Amino acid sequence: MVEALSTELKTYAANFETLIGANEGKFVVIHKDEILGTFDSQMDAIKWGYRELGNTPFLVKQVTKIEVPLSFVSNLLAV
Amino acid sequence: MPSFTAQLPNLQALGPTVDMRVWIGTPVEEAMKKTGTKLPDPVAVKAMIDTGATGSVIQPAIAQSLGLQPIGVVSICTPSSENVPCYQYVVRLLFPNNVIVEAVAVEAPLKGQQIQCLIGRDVLAHAVLVYTGYINQFTLSF
Repeated sequence: MVEALSTELKTYAANFETLIGANEGKFVVIHKDEILGTFDSQMDAIKWGYRELGNTPFLVKQVTKIEVPLSFVSNLLAV
Repeated sequence: MPSFTAQLPNLQALGPTVDMRVWIGTPVEEAMKKTGTKLPDPVAVKAMIDTGATGSVIQPAIAQSLGLQPIGVVSICTPSSENVPCYQYVVRLLFPNNVIVEAVAVEAPLKGQQIQCLIGRDVLAHAVLVYTGYINQFTLSF
């Protein structure tokens, strides 16, 4: 369902222990199998990603031990 | 304080909906300009202010017509599903009265044809929402 970023998600999972050790809470930018940088805020990471990579798929993800899903109370979403 | 007020025929029945537009986020615009890519036109949508939504949502067709590429993946939970991975995109929400908000929106299908966008608590976190039910009116201020 999220094929465009599947390589980046695998890269995140493969490097999770290293990332969580030094960058917990920060936002990491990953393109393909490369970890390009970590940032204090999500928007800083996104801006940097677009500046360096252009309008191409890349992954900005918060490095965290517990991932809390977004919740939607209403039934408007068809998922 | 930038704000807009929406007047509806029946706020209880329709919910706090607003006709607005969704456009590419500022970093996307800059990246497109850098490569000489023609900027897309904003997409007109009917959006609903949804205090029950952690984040804002756009219909899949919107990201496609704006030429957006995903910059994140997040899991979502609804009353009928759990931990469904969805893409995230940087967008600008163009509300009436020239109120513009930058957001990271989740891409997910919305039921029916009427609503193409949900304005969630990520946007409301920066706003004041005044819901005046007895006159079918709401105001969103930033």
